[in-house]
Amino acid sequence: MSKLKYVGQSLKRKDGPDKVSGRAVYTQDIKLPGTLIGRVLRSPHPHARILKIDPSKALALPGVKGVITAKDTIGVKHGFVETPRYPADQDVLAIDKVTHVGEEIAAVAAIDDITAQRALELIEVEYEILPGVFDAETAMQPGAPEIRPTHPKVKEDLVNIAGKTETEWGDVEKGFAEADYIREDRFENQLRTHGYLEPQVTLAHWEGDKLNVWTSSMGTFIKRAKLSRTLGLPYSQVRIHKTYVGGTFGGKIDLYSHEYCAARLSMLTGRPVRITANREEIFSAYRHSQTLTIEIKTGVRKDGTILAQRFRIINNAGAHRGSGVVVIFLAWGFIMGPYRIPNLKYEGYAVYTNHTTRAPQRGHGAPKVRFAVESHLDMIAEHLGIDPITIRLKNARGPWEQLPNNDNTHEAGLIDCIKMVSQKSAFLDKWRQARPPADPESPLRRGIGIGVTSYMSGTLIYPNGSGVIVKLNDDGSVIVLTGALDVGQGAETVLCQIVAEELAVGMDDIKLITSDTDTTPQDIGAWISGMTYVTGNATRQAATHAREKILKVASEEMGVPEEDLGIEDKSVFNLHDPQQRMSYAQVFSASVAKHRGDTIIGEGFWRTMRDEPTHPSLATTKGRWTENYAFSAQVAEVEVDIETGEARLIKAYTVHDCGFPVNPGLIKGQVDGQVSMALGQAFMEEVMTKNGYTLNPNWLDYRMPLIHNMAGSEDFEVITEQYRIGQPYRTKEVGEGLVSGVLAGIANAIYDATGVRLTSAPFTPEKILAGLRKLEREKARELA
Amino acid sequence: MRDATAKARPAPRLITLTINGEVREVMVRPRIMLLEVIRDHVGLTGTKDGCESGTCGACTVLLNGKPVLSCITLAVECDGKTVETVESLSEGGKLGDLQEAFLDQGATQCGFCTPGILMSAKALLKNNPKPSLPEIKKALEGNLCRCTGYNAIVDAILQVSDQGVAPLMK
Ligand code: FES
Ligand code: FES
Repeated sequence: MSKLKYVGQSLKRKDGPDKVSGRAVYTQDIKLPGTLIGRVLRSPHPHARILKIDPSKALALPGVKGVITAKDTIGVKHGFVETPRYPADQDVLAIDKVTHVGEEIAAVAAIDDITAQRALELIEVEYEILPGVFDAETAMQPGAPEIRPTHPKVKEDLVNIAGKTETEWGDVEKGFAEADYIREDRFENQLRTHGYLEPQVTLAHWEGDKLNVWTSSMGTFIKRAKLSRTLGLPYSQVRIHKTYVGGTFGGKIDLYSHEYCAARLSMLTGRPVRITANREEIFSAYRHSQTLTIEIKTGVRKDGTILAQRFRIINNAGAHRGSGVVVIFLAWGFIMGPYRIPNLKYEGYAVYTNHTTRAPQRGHGAPKVRFAVESHLDMIAEHLGIDPITIRLKNARGPWEQLPNNDNTHEAGLIDCIKMVSQKSAFLDKWRQARPPADPESPLRRGIGIGVTSYMSGTLIYPNGSGVIVKLNDDGSVIVLTGALDVGQGAETVLCQIVAEELAVGMDDIKLITSDTDTTPQDIGAWISGMTYVTGNATRQAATHAREKILKVASEEMGVPEEDLGIEDKSVFNLHDPQQRMSYAQVFSASVAKHRGDTIIGEGFWRTMRDEPTHPSLATTKGRWTENYAFSAQVAEVEVDIETGEARLIKAYTVHDCGFPVNPGLIKGQVDGQVSMALGQAFMEEVMTKNGYTLNPNWLDYRMPLIHNMAGSEDFEVITEQYRIGQPYRTKEVGEGLVSGVLAGIANAIYDATGVRLTSAPFTPEKILAGLRKLEREKARELA
Repeated sequence: MRDATAKARPAPRLITLTINGEVREVMVRPRIMLLEVIRDHVGLTGTKDGCESGTCGACTVLLNGKPVLSCITLAVECDGKTVETVESLSEGGKLGDLQEAFLDQGATQCGFCTPGILMSAKALLKNNPKPSLPEIKKALEGNLCRCTGYNAIVDAILQVSDQGVAPLMK
C-alpha cells in the first residue's frame, strides 16, 4: 500500500486564495440590476395580539414596490423540527399574535433603504398587549401566561411545554441506594449569540418561473426545502446558489423570515430583492443559543465509580419550538457518551417563553451539559479524595461499548485522550500547586482544570444523505460536484484532498463546484457534524468509481491487467515497467472513442447509519443517534486576579479522537476557534435581556473575544482509525464538540486557582469576587 | 411629499479618490460612508460590511496609508485622498507575501474578517517590519475574528516578518 500523499497532510485551503485576495463572493457581494431593498417590520412587544395591520399608507409611498403581511402567505408554518410529534409552529409572518420582540409582522420592498425604512414606519399595526413570561421555570407553572399550548403528550400539570424528552435505564433508585456518596447540584448558563461576522443577508430574484436565491446559510438544500414549502413552489422552481459564507456557528440553519420575505417580495414585484439584517436586528430579534438549567444527582461508590445519575434539564426555548426540543434530546446524548452510567433517569423540558426563537449553536447544548457534569464530577472527586484524572479514567467509556440506544463506541479513544492530556499538560504536577503565587505580593493565582466530551459525527436529519460526482476533463484534470458548503470549516479542501488521493491528481488539478441546488447533488449541509465522514465518503466513492473506469480503459489500451497498474501524477503506469504509461488525457480520449463516448464520470453517495430508517425519537431517545462518536479530553489553565476577580485563559490543551485527521492544520484551526469560543462563553459573552428586550445589541456592549483575549492552544490527536485507498473510512467530529471541554476545564481551573466553585456561566469578575468573599467569611467563622 | 424629501436631502458632491492607484471621481451625498463608495460605487467588494457601525473591523481600509473603519468614515472627508483596499495586496493576480503567510498559517477560515485584518496588518508592518506580540495585538485590536481564535493570524504576521514562525500548511 502506497503512502498517502494528500490525506493526512496539512494542505493549504482550497478557498484560501479567493479569501485573502478579496475575490471570494459572499451573498452581500452579489449585485443584480434593479435590485430593491427589503426591510422587515418587527414586533415592538414581547407578547401581544395583533388586532389590525394596515399597510395601505406604506404602499402609497412613492418608491415602495411591494408590502407583504401574513395575508400574502399561503399559511404554511415552518420549524427547525417538522415531525408528526413536533409539527411546525412558526409563521413566516405573524398572523394573529406576536410572541417575542422582533417577531416578523410585515415586509416592504422599495427602491432604496431610506424609502423602505420610511415605509415600515407607515404600516399601522394595532396590538392588544398580553402579559409576557421570560423565565422558563415561571413559564412552566400553571397560571403563567400561555404562549402556545402545552404539548398534548405531556400529561403533567404544566403550561408552555414545547416538548419533553424522557428516558431511563437500569434502576436509578437501586443505584442510589447502593451508593456510598450522593451529591446534587444545579447549573445555569447565559444567553449567548453566534457572532458570525457576516450578517444575515438574502438576495432573491424571481424570474417568472424560477426563484433564484443567494443567502448566507449552512446548507443550501435545507433552505431550498423550507423556502419551497412556505412559498408553495415545487423544489425544482427554487434554486439556491452558492456563495461563500462568513461564519455561521449554528445561527444560519433552518428558515429565517427575511429569506421568505425577500423571495415573496421578489415574486410580487418581479425584481430582485435584497434584505440585510443589521447588527442590532441580529442581536435583538434573531435566534441565539438556548439557556439550560441543569439539575444533576449522582450516586457513586467510594472509588468514584458512578452508580446512578438523575438529570432534570429545563430549556428556555423562546417563542417557538425551534431547536429547543432537539437540545433536550441532545443533552441526553452528551450525558451518556463519555462515562458509563449503569442507571440513569433523564428528563428534559423545552419551555416556551417570550424570548426570541432559539437556534442551535456550535456544540448544540454540549458545552452547557459538560460544564455541569464535569464540575459536578470534580466536586464528587474532591469529596472522595480522588484526583480529577483518576475519577474520569474510572468512569470513561472504552472501545466497543454498546450504549443503551444500541449505538456503539467503536474504536473509542477516550481513555487515551484523558491519559494524554493529563501528561501533556502535566496536570497532576500543577493541580492544587498553583494557588500560592510565585511572587507573594502578586494577586494572580493559577489554576488547572479538565473537561471531557463526546460528540456525534453525523446523524440523520434531512436531507440525510450526500451525493458527489467526480468527472474527468479531457486534459486529465478533475471537476468535483458536491452540495457541501464551506462555511469556513474547510469542506472544500478536505474533499479535494480525498479526490487527489484517490485519483493521484494534484490539488490544483481539481476544480470544485459546490452547494448549488440546481447543479450539484444533494448534501447534508454544514450543520450536523458529518461533512468529512458523510460527504467525504461519498466523495471517496465517486473518485474510486472514476478511478475504476480509468484503470479499465488503461488496462485495455496498454494490454496490462488492472492489478498491475498504478496511478500517479494524472497518469496510469505499468507497475512492472514504469516507463509504460498513459496520461489521463489519453485515457479520456480512449474512453470516449472505445466506450461509447464515456467521459469518465464517477458517482458516490453516503448516508450515515444506512440501515436505520430515520432519526431517533426526540421524545424517548429510542433509535440510533450516530455511528461515530468523537471523544476528547481538554485541559484549561487559567489565571485569576483575586483583587479584581478578572480571570483569563492562559492555555488550553486539547487531545481528541477524531478517528484520523484528514488535514491536521485545518483541525488546529477548528480547535483554536473553539478554544476562543469557549473562553468567550466562560468570561465575557452574554446577551442581556429585560422583559424580552435586548439591552446590549451591538459588539461594543456584547463583548466577544478580541485578539487581546487570545489564549495559547495546543492540540494532539489520538488516532483510532485509518484511511485506505478505495475503502470506506471513519472520521469523527472536530468542528463543534471541542468548546465543551475547555468551558468545563475553565470552571474547574477557577476552582483550582481560588477555591471558588461557580455553577453559573459566565464566570464574571463579580461572581468570582463574591465567591472569594464568601470563602473569607467562612474562614473567619471557622477561626472564630 | 417627494419635493419635501428632495429638499431635505443635502446636495451630492463630486469627490476624487485614488483607490488602489486609480483615480476615481464619484458623486456622493454627504451622509454616504467610504465603505459604500468602495463597495457600491466603485464596485470593489473585497472590503466587507460586518456591522456598519464601527465595531468589527471587517471594513478596514487604508486612508492615506492609515487604517480606518470605512463604514464610519464619511466619503466626503476622503476627497483628494488615497485609499488602499484588500484588492491592492495582490499584483497581476499574484498574492503578496502577507496574503501567502495567511494561507501558510491557515489564518483565514470563513474569510469574512480577512480583508480587514490584512489591511490592519499591512499598516502595522509598513511602519514596523518586526512587530512584537503586544504590538501585533494593539494593531489588530479593532478587528473581530470569530473563527480562528486569532492564533493563526498572529503566526502569519510573525511568519511574514521573519520572526521564526514556520508555515503550518503546505
Ligand atoms: S463594518 Fe465597519 S467596523 Fe464593522
Ligand atoms: S475567519 Fe471567520 S471571522 Fe475571521
